[in-house]
Amino acid sequence: MEKSEVGTIKSEWAARWADLKYTLYLLRKNPLVMAGIFMTLFFIALMFLANYIVDPRLANPAGYPEFGGNYPFQRSYVWSKGNIISWGPGIHLYEGSEFFPLGTDGWGRDLLKMIVLAIPVDMENAIIITLGAAAFGTLLGALAGYVGGVIDEVILRITDIFLSIPYLILALVFAAMFGRTIETLRFSILLVFWPTYVRLMRGQILSEKEKSYVEALKALGAGHARVLFGHIIPNSIYPVLVQATLDFGSVVLTFSALMFLGFSPSPSLPELGNLASDGYFHIFDAPWLMMFSGLTMLLIALAFNLLGDGLRDVLDPRIRR
Amino acid sequence: MKLYEYIIRRLILMIFVLLGISLIVFYLARGFPTGIDPVTPYIHSKMTAEQIEMVRKIHGFDQPLYIQFFYWLRDILQGDWGITGTWANSRPTNVVFFSHFPYTVELSVAATILTVAIGLPLGIISALKNNKLPDHVSRIIALAGYSTPAYWFGFVLQLVFFYYLSLWGLPHLPSSGASGMEGVVSRITGMPVLDGILAGNLGYTLDALAHLILPAFSLSFISMGFLTRIVRAGMLEVLRQDYITLARSKGLTERVVIYRHALKNALIPAVTLTGMFFALLLGGAMITEYVFAWPGVGQISLRAVFQGDSNFLLVYTLVTAAIIVIANLIVDVLYVFLDPRIKY
Repeated sequence: MEKSEVGTIKSEWAARWADLKYTLYLLRKNPLVMAGIFMTLFFIALMFLANYIVDPRLANPAGYPEFGGNYPFQRSYVWSKGNIISWGPGIHLYEGSEFFPLGTDGWGRDLLKMIVLAIPVDMENAIIITLGAAAFGTLLGALAGYVGGVIDEVILRITDIFLSIPYLILALVFAAMFGRTIETLRFSILLVFWPTYVRLMRGQILSEKEKSYVEALKALGAGHARVLFGHIIPNSIYPVLVQATLDFGSVVLTFSALMFLGFSPSPSLPELGNLASDGYFHIFDAPWLMMFSGLTMLLIALAFNLLGDGLRDVLDPRIRR
Repeated sequence: MKLYEYIIRRLILMIFVLLGISLIVFYLARGFPTGIDPVTPYIHSKMTAEQIEMVRKIHGFDQPLYIQFFYWLRDILQGDWGITGTWANSRPTNVVFFSHFPYTVELSVAATILTVAIGLPLGIISALKNNKLPDHVSRIIALAGYSTPAYWFGFVLQLVFFYYLSLWGLPHLPSSGASGMEGVVSRITGMPVLDGILAGNLGYTLDALAHLILPAFSLSFISMGFLTRIVRAGMLEVLRQDYITLARSKGLTERVVIYRHALKNALIPAVTLTGMFFALLLGGAMITEYVFAWPGVGQISLRAVFQGDSNFLLVYTLVTAAIIVIANLIVDVLYVFLDPRIKY
């Protein structure tokens, strides 16, 4: 390698580093974005740690196995304080007390612990769905934009069809027909979210492929795959990242909405929408169930939306300053 | 391309989109053994087995799925939309659909009005006070808007404005239904508020409005956030352009610069997204209608999903999809008038 070449590569990396530092500086300047970053990190940490913080066996509606199906707290004590409400056989809803800071759900499980256990379930599924939708949509969009012609037209029309169906009905019908499993739910939500990425990526590719470096690469004898996957897609991936961050919140909400509407594989699964749907029937007499599970969903979605919104402001060259 | 050619091209494309949608929904709703037998809603207790067989033959339920689709297509083109599920007493789908559709339209229109009335000023303030306190506040409201689970927000509204207010003996808003005085006014449009106004019945109108407030606000909360962010982004981009600097250096007041010069151009992207809002509102209306027991088509389609009622689902998706496509078309045509640089 000649000296001058090393110099250009170095300066290129220096420029990228400077750019990154400036981006971080811009992000730091905005307190809301910082709040978003910290909340996101908090939920991601909770996703990995939840099963160590709370014993996952607590989610079993039959109670602790080692206590022979009973619960280790004294129900009589709660009863004597007068804050138990009797709903009939099999339903044990307690209002918040020193034992359960947020109250209990219909099985007498501690709501706070169930919410902690629910966070990894929601996060994990939302991550899988969002990445799946983004990857699928990006690939199709890249194909449509790069190849053009008939393939472009066909992909766009299919995208149009999926964009014109009211977004929930598609997921609902799909989930209703394929049975109540987590995999079905994941796929049904993926069906709703991929078309945005096709449009986004296609637009990016159309402007990117006209640039002179693509022509230079082709002149150097680079194949289509190398040009597309090695250069064009990496150069136009930022909007996709921002969109995925923004979509993450919506995916969490849609996933829990389907659970709420009754597509849950098991009513005792600790999942935020599931906990909320338990509370729907006790909406006025046991509001804590729905209140706190919904609030958790809001916080997760808000964290990722704050982050995505900040990223968009910082990465979008038209708004960046 | 002339404008009318463009419109015709889009309308022809719309037919293909609708055909594609009906194929997908038809396959999903009828193609699986988990769905109920499509002949079920046609049956009543006085029918003999032969008559049931005849219904099967007429509508092609005994044929393979891909042939059934053509039977359905033939029926729907002849104006026979089929019989909808047992939950609706096996009535014709179009009767059920169009008697409940006005409720959904009323809800969506009210939500759109609220979206624009709240989202637009928030977005403008946000851009003018970029990265200052008002911007942060409006950003929080907007982002909270689309981070909020729709059903949860509806529930919180019900809890506060219906349950707690009524517990404390204060005047409260109704929590469910579209009207508390069913049958007082004759149905003309099917939308309670509009019917009340047409009949000149003030009490009925106010009652219908009171029923409308909570669901509409709950529904508009999501799209409001989107509108705010889009108006803000558009405004920020326009405010940095040369012609704004020129307008300012001419000595125009800030008011004139913003409202006469900047806003017009900043609103173009917001207008183009109205189509998207409509899709969002129609889709979101399902959950809002479910929570507020609003008698619209969204809530009914939710029941149809659980019953595997393909006839109603097909009508629901086709009509809403057609509305979404046409709304997008109108927006694209409006674009030409709003932005003279764009040609077709």
